[in-house]
Amino acid sequence: MALKPVTTPDVEAPSIELTIDGHPARTRAGVSLYDVISETGKIVPAMCYHYTFDPFGSCGMCLVMVEGKKAPVRSCTAKAEAGLIVRTLGDDLFAARKKAVEKHLSIHPLDCPVCDADGHCELQDMAFQHGVTNLVNAKPKGLPEDRRSLVLDFNMNRCILCGECINICKDVQMIDALQFFKKEGTTHVVAKGDNALECEFCGDCLAVCPVGAITNKYSKYIYKPWQLKKTTTTCNYCADGCQLHIETSGRDVQRVTSPLSWKNKWGDRAETAKGHGGLCVLGRFGFQYIDSKDRLTTPLVKTDEGLVPLSWYDAVTLIKERLTVIKAQHGANAIAGLITARCTNEEHYLFQKLMRAAIGTNQLDSSARYGYLNFTRAMQHAVGVGRLMNSYEEITKAKVLLLIGTDITETNPITGLRVKEALRVYGGTVIVADWAVTNIAKLASHPLLISPGGDGWFIKGLVKAVLDGDLVDEAAIGAAPKAFAALKKAVESMSWETITAFAGTSKESITEAARIYAEAATAVILCGEGVIRREHGYDGILNLVDLAWVTGKLTRPGCGINALPEEANEQGAVDMGVAPELLPGQASYADPDMRGKFERAWNVTLPVGPLASGSLMEILERCRSGQIKALYLVGENPLATLPANSGVREALEKVEFLISQDPYLTESGRLAHVVLPASTSAEKEGTFTDLQGKVNRVRQALELGDEARPDWEIFSAIGSLLGYPMDYEHPNAIQSEIMKLLPGYNNLGERLPVVASPGRYLNDDYVDEVAGRYRQDEGGAIERPFALVMGQVLYHHGKLSTRASGLTVLYPNKGALQMHPDDLARLQVGDKDAVRVQSAHGALDMKAEANATLGLGTCFFPEHFNEPPVKDLMDCVTDPVTGVPSFKLTRVSIEKIPSGTL
Amino acid sequence: MKSATEEKSLLRTFWEALSFSEIRTAMQVVLRHMFVKPVTFQYPREKRTIPDAHRGALGLLRYDDGVERCVGCDLCEAACPSRCIKVVSAENPAKPLTRIATEFYIDITKCVFCGYCVEACPVNALAMTKMYEYSTPDKRTLIFDKTRLYEVGEKHIDDAKRYLYAHNQEKNDSDSRAYRYKFPHTVTAPRPDP
Repeated sequence: MALKPVTTPDVEAPSIELTIDGHPARTRAGVSLYDVISETGKIVPAMCYHYTFDPFGSCGMCLVMVEGKKAPVRSCTAKAEAGLIVRTLGDDLFAARKKAVEKHLSIHPLDCPVCDADGHCELQDMAFQHGVTNLVNAKPKGLPEDRRSLVLDFNMNRCILCGECINICKDVQMIDALQFFKKEGTTHVVAKGDNALECEFCGDCLAVCPVGAITNKYSKYIYKPWQLKKTTTTCNYCADGCQLHIETSGRDVQRVTSPLSWKNKWGDRAETAKGHGGLCVLGRFGFQYIDSKDRLTTPLVKTDEGLVPLSWYDAVTLIKERLTVIKAQHGANAIAGLITARCTNEEHYLFQKLMRAAIGTNQLDSSARYGYLNFTRAMQHAVGVGRLMNSYEEITKAKVLLLIGTDITETNPITGLRVKEALRVYGGTVIVADWAVTNIAKLASHPLLISPGGDGWFIKGLVKAVLDGDLVDEAAIGAAPKAFAALKKAVESMSWETITAFAGTSKESITEAARIYAEAATAVILCGEGVIRREHGYDGILNLVDLAWVTGKLTRPGCGINALPEEANEQGAVDMGVAPELLPGQASYADPDMRGKFERAWNVTLPVGPLASGSLMEILERCRSGQIKALYLVGENPLATLPANSGVREALEKVEFLISQDPYLTESGRLAHVVLPASTSAEKEGTFTDLQGKVNRVRQALELGDEARPDWEIFSAIGSLLGYPMDYEHPNAIQSEIMKLLPGYNNLGERLPVVASPGRYLNDDYVDEVAGRYRQDEGGAIERPFALVMGQVLYHHGKLSTRASGLTVLYPNKGALQMHPDDLARLQVGDKDAVRVQSAHGALDMKAEANATLGLGTCFFPEHFNEPPVKDLMDCVTDPVTGVPSFKLTRVSIEKIPSGTL
Repeated sequence: MKSATEEKSLLRTFWEALSFSEIRTAMQVVLRHMFVKPVTFQYPREKRTIPDAHRGALGLLRYDDGVERCVGCDLCEAACPSRCIKVVSAENPAKPLTRIATEFYIDITKCVFCGYCVEACPVNALAMTKMYEYSTPDKRTLIFDKTRLYEVGEKHIDDAKRYLYAHNQEKNDSDSRAYRYKFPHTVTAPRPDP
């Protein structure tokens, strides 16, 4: 079936008029008749229709009478034509639809009482609406249930063969994991090839199944839909900002559902460019961390016998006393704090206010420091706003998408769907440059395999190719001729040999990618950990700005540069000023005027001076040197994140007073003097800022159990005890304070548009610094033959997901190093044999397994697991400008060790 | 105007007192009732015959082969107007693909004996019995759990079956299904009348 004209704006479809139930309706030729009818507000029942994919026409419910035809026609597969006279109501149509329901029911088992879909079943609704009370020839299929998948059970007795699951998997997800399959005399829905389901487990098939044919293993048979309390909140895994419904009974989370559902089947196909409402495996099946048994139940204090329980009153009093003493003896600069970007905006704001106003130190940082600040700092510097430049809609409708160093379908699956939709529906060209053959590279029109860590060189190559091929936009460079001359001079100093050697790809492919990018009407750059979490990440983003600028794509609407943050609220942490160089609203801390504004608002003097400010690595360094006596960790676990050679353990052990505030007892928490039980995002109110810059609500889905408290409550208690008034009744009170200070941050649900203004950036300073970014002499001789990369996998996110049993079932820690099968063969290592991995920081014996998607000479280990401690092999290099530590890539040598030594 | 008693002569009053006429009148009533059948019951020595449709304590039933009828569908919980039923269901570990109630509670102190739960039950696992004696000094014992409900059901199985029959729940004739869905026999196997 041809695409609907709404989704192919380039195709000119004539406007036509037709009559529906006596009323004229206007539409474009070729649109499905069903869409035209539903746009008028009439609801014609349909069980196989969903607006996110093309009409399938299997259920036979959407019958309408078209004048001139003898029998009713299926409106979903009929196309709108000029002058059609359509009737949607009438006893004859009701009877025909009733017959269709009876046909479905006659082979449907009437096991509603035990079915999980009972009360949330379209077939049930249809049978009720059409008054089906008498079945003559019922023959249930009597098939066994397909329980081979780890997550989903397929009960083909209940299946009505609507094909929604297959269509959403093929058309929206582009995974194509399901198919119709004839066996045992009937048609089944099975995983491809009638095997156990092996897919991305996004669960969209479960969401759109109108009956109970696909059921969730994690919540099977334990609830009925009407027993659950549904709370709409924002996912706190990645920064895609997906809305999800957490369904709870009492203190138990039973399941998570998505706005995408067979119930929300009517919509405009063009709207899916803004998101289709579905979830990924993390959001839908990774909810068990909320009511995990590992949750802390009471505050703990370190004594000679280890950590022992303490009352909240004693715990906060102890914190107050110790902080007061440390501040009196060593000054406020002896106190520092780190917060995770999984906290809400309100908590970030309150945390920095606690540190700056109540304690009086500017040594504070968030987990955005692990990479995302490379992007926001560079964008602030060059463009003026540290935020992603494009919305989902702009990404979807871009003519060219350039993905550099991002495995987008693994790290940000829902943003990845926008790229897939750009490919499939809007016919965009997608160039993917990454160090592995990722899932998006398999779909892309121009997949390029580059060497690990070669992303920066690939970007330099693109800039060089644009300048060499004279693909520049005259208007853009004409505005800043001096800057362009400086850029041209700097780029000329690099030779193609160096670029191709480091980037690991040919000059032709780089030139081709540059040509496609430069010639596109709209082009969006998406980059990820390969750029922002590597050495010179800040320079890499500035080089991308150069690329966009010289090709005229920096200020053009629909074009832009975007980097994907990791944790849910990294953008919010930056916006709330949880970084020593930033104040709320991304104002510069160094600017005395901006400081003055907040000093007046908070009625304090903000600390200044070289020792008063410090970012993550500086804080840890000062902990080691003994300058910092007290460290406040909020959900942060640097011990499990940073490699051992960065000295993180020494830093945390040296600190006189370490506070860990976390829902769980983490590795860092075991070293802490006081551990405070915090809440997860499902138990508190607030807002998250997603990667588009949209501010989404976080709502409390379940009551806090035991003695855990929301983080904002703990901050306001400590602040008030320290003698600074921080009395807030509710996060709403904090939010109104933020709104007062940052007008415009309150437009919940709306994205703040980013308008690039590079004029100020392309000045004399640019001329001075640009040469440094295109140096020829980067990189020394490669001593060790293999590149070891630590990265994210789809089924996990940070360390949080390892506490969700639903995800560890899908992706357990195998403790094995992933390598290309040819590399394994060359080293004569059999699958599951042991290898010794040697880096500059030590050696590690571990298993090895084959992964054909990796490039030759590359090995991979998921960053979510520390068993074995692969992270300790990593180099830790700190960016000189942004202070971002990069520690996800190193060179190693690998040798086979005798089996049985592990 | 003077009343009748005041008009009574002194002599007559004197005569009535002498002849104990009031006692005689009373004894006449007593003697007359000695030959009439009494209307009260000597509870608890004597018990009343209760009609089959009586709504008494709820019990859970088993099939004749001892298998629990309840499939843990939670429909009784949904139908209960006083919200006194709580069902916790799970997949049957002994028999995969079937659903059972692992826990079942009825708070009898809240129950209004409307019988909606029995009507909602798709497998006739719940029935009302003629049992009404469960007064206790401890109100906590009035939250019937699954074991107690099955005990009640077992002890009063005949009453329970008669209740279901009286309420047209276990009949298979057309009248009894006037307000129910009609499905062919391949789907609902007929049950023998009690």
